[in-house]
Amino acid sequence: MEKIAMNKHRSQHKQAFDEPLWWGLFSAGGVCFAVLLPAVILFIAILLPLGLLPADALSYERASALLFSVPGFLFVGAVVCLPLFHAAHRLRHGLFDISVGNDALNKKLMYGGAALLSIVALGIVVAGFFS
Amino acid sequence: MDKLSSQRLPPLKRNWWLKHRFFKLYMLREATVLPLVFFTLCLLAGMVALLQGAESWQGWIAFMRSPIVFVLNLLALAASLFHAATFFVLFPRVMPLRIAGHSLPDQAIVAGQWAGVVAVALLFFWLLGRA
Repeated sequence: MEKIAMNKHRSQHKQAFDEPLWWGLFSAGGVCFAVLLPAVILFIAILLPLGLLPADALSYERASALLFSVPGFLFVGAVVCLPLFHAAHRLRHGLFDISVGNDALNKKLMYGGAALLSIVALGIVVAGFFS
Repeated sequence: MDKLSSQRLPPLKRNWWLKHRFFKLYMLREATVLPLVFFTLCLLAGMVALLQGAESWQGWIAFMRSPIVFVLNLLALAASLFHAATFFVLFPRVMPLRIAGHSLPDQAIVAGQWAGVVAVALLFFWLLGRA
């Protein structure tokens, strides 16, 4: 019993060097989620499907030109990648709070998932830029 | 019972957070990332559609119009605003700002961040809202 507790403590201590990175990404993603996402969701997921934007505002040509560009790359970084790491961090801690799974595995799944989706998202912009 | 084991807290039950309003709000805030992840996945699908061509892009807009997707994205908008409300009040606590020896009132820092949300929405309106 005593030994397990000590091991857990030691492994937590060993992990600690990467925690500032996750908290940093969580924090940066939190700022993007709070400041950028309300407008992004309003325009792309509410006004666009309702047809309340001018017809050519996000036509195929215009949307491609906006997304597959250097500003589009930065947009994806701020609106997709950082909020994904924010979400990963909250999900990991949320799962810990309701004692689901084990933290070491959840950590790999959550941050790994966020990293994978981020690479896919940025890859799409790069692919569109060069096609 | 020795000293060490009496200091150790018993493991929490999964529903510990249901017992107090403060913890319920904490869990609600943690849960704001669930609709965020849904919106992000929608956005990723839209990016893939844009890469595929004009027909896929129109198909994606129709998908965004389907009732369940639309309602979940409305939830994402509400979640982003709730997250913003909880996140902005943290700023003056984490990093109190001082200008010319006077500390900036907390409300001013919070208001400044909401002004940021409005500014981003205006930028989107400038980019997409005009006919």
